[in-house]
Amino acid sequence: MTDILPAITTTPPRAELTAPTQRELMAELGLKPRSRLLARLPGWAQLFVTNKKGLFGLAILAIFMILALLAPLITPYDPYRRAGKPHVQPGVEHFLGTSRQGKDNFSQLLEGSRASLTVGFIAGFSATLIGLAVGISAGYFGGKTDEVLTFFVNVSLVLPALPLIIVLASFIEEASPTVIGLVLALTGWGWSARTIRTQTLALKNREFVLAAELMGEKKWRIIVREILPNMSSFVVGGFVLATIYGILAEAALEFIGLGSPNSVTWGTMLYWAMRAQALQTGAWFEIWPPAIAIMLTGAALVMVNFAVDEITNPQLAATRRIGPIRRFLRRRNRRADFV
Amino acid sequence: MAFLLRRLGFYFGAFFVAITLNFLIPRLMPGDPATRILLSLRGKLRPDQIDAIRKTYGFSGSLWDQYLQYLWRLAHFDFGISTVNFPEPTASLLFYAAGWTLVLVGAATTLSFGIGITMGIWSAWRRGGFFDTFFTPINVMLNAFTPAVVALLLWYAFTMQWPIFPLGRAHEMNLTPGFNLETLLSVAWHAVLPVASIVIVSFGAWHLGMRNTMINLLNEDFVLLAKAKGLSDRRIRNRYVARNAILPQITSLALSIGFVLGGAFITEVVFNYPGLGKFTLNAIQTRDYSFIQAQLILLTMSVLVANLASDVLNVILDPRLRSAGRA
Repeated sequence: MTDILPAITTTPPRAELTAPTQRELMAELGLKPRSRLLARLPGWAQLFVTNKKGLFGLAILAIFMILALLAPLITPYDPYRRAGKPHVQPGVEHFLGTSRQGKDNFSQLLEGSRASLTVGFIAGFSATLIGLAVGISAGYFGGKTDEVLTFFVNVSLVLPALPLIIVLASFIEEASPTVIGLVLALTGWGWSARTIRTQTLALKNREFVLAAELMGEKKWRIIVREILPNMSSFVVGGFVLATIYGILAEAALEFIGLGSPNSVTWGTMLYWAMRAQALQTGAWFEIWPPAIAIMLTGAALVMVNFAVDEITNPQLAATRRIGPIRRFLRRRNRRADFV
Repeated sequence: MAFLLRRLGFYFGAFFVAITLNFLIPRLMPGDPATRILLSLRGKLRPDQIDAIRKTYGFSGSLWDQYLQYLWRLAHFDFGISTVNFPEPTASLLFYAAGWTLVLVGAATTLSFGIGITMGIWSAWRRGGFFDTFFTPINVMLNAFTPAVVALLLWYAFTMQWPIFPLGRAHEMNLTPGFNLETLLSVAWHAVLPVASIVIVSFGAWHLGMRNTMINLLNEDFVLLAKAKGLSDRRIRNRYVARNAILPQITSLALSIGFVLGGAFITEVVFNYPGLGKFTLNAIQTRDYSFIQAQLILLTMSVLVANLASDVLNVILDPRLRSAGRA
C-alpha cells in the first residue's frame, strides 16, 4: 500500500482545525466498513462483490442466462416457424413484432440467446482448455517442448483469425453453432496460452514447487496440485476474454452468412434482417433487438473482465481510491503530489 | 540485427504454416471445389473434361505433387481463376479490393491508435480522476460492441435518419479516376462512416492498454528520480513514462491488424464498400474458393509484414534491443 500513498506537501497548520473522528473520515472518503456477511466470504469473492463493475456485468449476464435457460418455457411462439404476417409492428400479439418471414422476433431473441451464449461459452471453455494445456506444458517442461509449443502459440497469435475462419467455415457447408464455437476455439487459444506460460515460468522456480519436486512428486501431480491452483485468476481472465471473442466472432460470422441459416442465433437474426433490408423498410424491431442483446452481453463480459483485472493487479484497483483521496486533500487545502 | 533475423525466421515459419493450412483445409473436407463444380453441372461432362477441371484447380495427382504445384503457383502470385468473374484471374480482383481495404484499415488504425494512446496517457496521469473513471469503462465497453452492430447503427443514423453521408460505395460513380482533388474528397467523404465504425470499436483497447502499462510504470523508481530532479510534469509524462509504455502497444498494434481487418470486413459488408470484405462475402455466397483462399494468403502476408515493421520500430525506439541482440 505504501507505494500509492501520496507525498503530502505541507501547508502551514491552521489552528481552528480539529481532528475528525475515524467515522467522519471514512464517510468523507466514501469508505464503508465491511459488513459481517461480506467478511465471511473468501478474499477473492469479497473483492469481486465490492467491485461495482464486476457485479453489474455479472447481473446482466445472469439475466441473459436465466432467459436462455427458460427460453423453451417462455417463448410465446415457435421461433422456427411462421407466427404471423411479415413485419407486424410490435404490439400485444407480438411483443417485438415479426420478421420478414413472419417469425416472432421476441421468441427468436430468446431462442437465439441460448445458441449465442452456448457457443460463446463452448468457444471460451475450449480455448481456455487448449491454452491451459499448451501454456503449462511449454512453461513447465521447457527445453525443446517449450520451443516447439511457443512457436505454435506465436503462429496462432500472428495469423489473422477472421480470414482463416472464413476459409475453414466456407469449406464446412452450413456450419452449425457448435461447429462455429469449436472453430473459434481453434483460432482463439493463443492469448491464454501465452499468459499461462509466462505465469508457469514464474511459478516453476518458487519454493513450494521445488519442495514438491524434491519430495519426488509426479510431474502431472505437481502441475495439477501445485501450479494450477495458483493460476485461477489468469484462467478466469482468459476464459472471460475468450468468451467475449467467441460471442462477438460468432455473431460476425453468421452476420456475413457463414453459419447455418436455419439455426436461430443473434447472428443469424441479424443476417436475415440485413437480407430483408429491415432498416430500409422501417422494420427496426427486426434488427435492433439482437443488436442490443449482442452489445449488452459484450459490455457485461467486459465489465467482468475489468473486475478480474483489478483483482489480479492491485495497482489498478488502487487507482479507484485515488480520486476520493485527492478531493479529500483538496478540501483541506493540501495537494497530493502523485507522480 | 540478430533479433531481427530471428524474427524474420519466425515470420517465414508462420507464413509456411498458414499456406500449408490453406492447402490442407480444402483437401481434408469432404468434396473438393472441383467435385463441387462437377456436382453443380449435374454430370453433363465427359471424363476428360472432369480431369481438365481437376487439373485447373490443382486437384490432380498425389497430395505431394499437388502441394509442390500449389507452392509453385503461389511463388508466381497465381491464385487461380475466379469462377464468378470468369475468366478474370483472382489476383487482379484481389489487389483491386485490397487497395480499398488498405484505405479503410490504414485510416482507421492511425486514428484509433492516436486517440486511444492520447486518452490512455491522460487517464493514467490523472488516474482515479473524472476523465479516468468516466471514459475508461465507456471506451472499453465500446470495444465489445461488435463492428456489425456499430456499423449498422451509424449507417442507420447518418444515411437513413439524417442523410448526411452517402449510402455506400467508395466514391461517386461519375468521377474521372486519378489523383485530383475532387476524387480524393469524394473518397474521403465516403470513407468517413466506415472508418468511424472501425475506430469506435477499436480505440478502447489502446486506451486501456496504454493506461494500464503507464500506471504500472508510474510506480517505478526512475519516475520518482525524475520527479526528484525537478523535471516538469510534461517531460516526465511524455518522455519518461509514455515513451516506455508505448513499446508494448506497438507490438500489440501489429498483432491487432488481423483483428482490425476482421472489423473492416464486416464494416465493408454493411457500407457496401468495394474492399476485401465485400468481395469475400460475394465469394462465400457464390462459393468462389480460389478467392476465399487467396484472401487468407494476402492478409497473412500483410499481417506478417506489419509485425516485422513493428519489430523494426521497436528496435529503433528501444535501445536495449539494439545492444542485447535478444528479446
